[in-house]
Amino acid sequence: MLLVDWLYVGVFLVVGLAMAALPLAVVWALAPRLAQPQKRTTYESGVVPFGQAWAQFNVRYYLFSLVFVIFDVEVIYLYPWSIVFRQYGRYAFFVMLIFVGILLLGLIHAWRKGALEWT
Amino acid sequence: MTLGLTHFLVLSTLLFCLGLFAMLTRRNAVAILMGVELMLNAANINLVAFNKYVAPGALNGQVFALVVITLAACEAGVGLALVMSAYRNLETVHVDEINVMKW
Amino acid sequence: MPLPIEDLWAVSPEIWLAGLGLLLLVLDLFVPSGRKAIVGWAAAAGLTLGLVPILGLVGVTPRTVFFGTYVVDGFAIFFKIVAVASTVLVILSAMDVLRGQTQFEGEMYILLTFTALGLSLMAGSADLIMVVLSIEFVSLCSYVMAGYFKADRRGNEAGLKYFLFGAGASAVMIYGFSILYGLTGQTSLYAIASALSGAPRPAVVVALVMALAGIGFKVSMVPFHQWTPDVYEGAPTPVAAFLSVASKAAGFAVLLRLLAVAFASAPVDWITLIAGLSAVTMTVGNLLALPQRNIKRMLAYSSISHAGFLLMGVAAYAGEFAQGLLYYILAYAFTNLGAFFVAVTVGQRLGTDDIPAYAGLGERAPALAWLMALFMLSLTGIPPTAGFVGKFYIFGAAVQNGLIWLAAIGVVNSVIALYYYVGVIRAMFLMPPASAGPVGQPAALQLALGITGLGTLAAGLFPQPFVTLVSAASLLLRF
Repeated sequence: MLLVDWLYVGVFLVVGLAMAALPLAVVWALAPRLAQPQKRTTYESGVVPFGQAWAQFNVRYYLFSLVFVIFDVEVIYLYPWSIVFRQYGRYAFFVMLIFVGILLLGLIHAWRKGALEWT
Repeated sequence: MTLGLTHFLVLSTLLFCLGLFAMLTRRNAVAILMGVELMLNAANINLVAFNKYVAPGALNGQVFALVVITLAACEAGVGLALVMSAYRNLETVHVDEINVMKW
Repeated sequence: MPLPIEDLWAVSPEIWLAGLGLLLLVLDLFVPSGRKAIVGWAAAAGLTLGLVPILGLVGVTPRTVFFGTYVVDGFAIFFKIVAVASTVLVILSAMDVLRGQTQFEGEMYILLTFTALGLSLMAGSADLIMVVLSIEFVSLCSYVMAGYFKADRRGNEAGLKYFLFGAGASAVMIYGFSILYGLTGQTSLYAIASALSGAPRPAVVVALVMALAGIGFKVSMVPFHQWTPDVYEGAPTPVAAFLSVASKAAGFAVLLRLLAVAFASAPVDWITLIAGLSAVTMTVGNLLALPQRNIKRMLAYSSISHAGFLLMGVAAYAGEFAQGLLYYILAYAFTNLGAFFVAVTVGQRLGTDDIPAYAGLGERAPALAWLMALFMLSLTGIPPTAGFVGKFYIFGAAVQNGLIWLAAIGVVNSVIALYYYVGVIRAMFLMPPASAGPVGQPAALQLALGITGLGTLAAGLFPQPFVTLVSAASLLLRF
């Protein structure tokens, strides 16, 4: 019984590691390795990249997406809430009011601090 | 062949190992963050699968998964912000090159 | 299923802290830049007032609230007091550092307030979901605080490293918790305890080790300690003080509750595991502290070795009471906060954190130097300081529970530690000063230094009232 249990753990471990290592091993075995400088360019087809890849987007956009992601994910809690809303009625309403109120406060803070300015 | 708990566990173990592998071998801070997200999602698969097959009466596992999803998003938000502020100063996101202090 | 009103009463400290944080968030919008110290004083005052509802819960019958996800007992109340009180002291010490250094001064006080809320939640968590949620809450705030000075390259590095290590460790911990949930079908620690006794041993071991990775990271236990020196050195010094005391203490609260409740009858010998980790942690931390020249790095390694001593208290935990661990945490909180506050003062006034810069401090700022000497002696564990009484109790608990070998290793380590702690004292009093002139201290920092110094001395000279306090507070609700 005990041995079988350990066996399971072992099998999981081996299979897991193998799945991670296998693609690397295949690439290592099959891929030709040519030490040419062209191999290290971004596009092997020959297009020469210019400028820095990092500078493509205005850093402002990242800030918006960060704020968006956080507020977007909070909606996750509205779904289970909407399912039980009928059952709990007014109580559920006020609980969610507090939750959304806190989020709103965060949004106001971000807005007043200028995190949402375009310029 | 019916889909059982084992299938989910194998999937989540694979995902976890891939995430761990990425976290340990990658040198780009954003790629490490991606590895972490893989590991968190592996835990989510575990939680939802266990909820269905081990404790179908309660919803603890699903709630747990929802919480983990939120945490993953917050972690990505904070992490990317830190990466950005480091990039502005240090001009790199490679953890090998971020070594002002000795390790 | 509305909550019973008594449950809300039981979490009144947390409600207060959450309300305070939100209030400060609004206040910060109306305080003009340049006068942000108002937010800091408001935060310190609000947190101090927050001790009132916590103290109001003292003596409450230990019970679980919120459908078994949260617990109020003496143990949790003790850690809430430590968390809130040390946050107040850290805010006092941070005001001088933040002034003019960043345009986001107010947010730091708000973050500290919310982190105090997270630490309180950690202390009372009795459910895997709550444990994960509160640990992550604290971690996310801490990552931001560690990388707070955006223009400082070392700060950037500290924040990024702390985040990457922390995110990885908590992902592993969450995976471990998912296995724990799979084994038992429960998320409440109390329900897990009974379901775990018949669980297959290998899976329990895997879950335990993975869970230890996440919590071990928070308390900087070897082998999850690598982030500690870099983060302490790069982060603003008050933040380093906060991480080394408040979040470490809360980490131990979670660790002990998880082990003593959920793993109470699990088919795994966690006492031996923790004892081994304790020996390794204190030895590694000590040996790496020896060659350090930067005071913050030295204190970082010293805090790793103190995590080892605290782990000894966890391993020696027996029965219902945890006095040894709690007294040590109390002593450590006073002492380590004080040592960091001296580092804050010197770093601010002299502009460096190198130990040689402490040369001649005995002449230039006698009060500061004597306080630092007191803290160093207390960290070593020399009477009549708090550190001595803490070590006395924790070694006693270890011996009583048959861990004599561990206590012996602890004594040897204390002797080794004497070398690098006394090195600081030697620099302050025996070396000639590099430059002359007194070293001034702002009022808020003096207050923080005074409180920690007084606490260190009082808990060392008159341990009895503190022991009574700790014994009364050490009841951990187990079933």
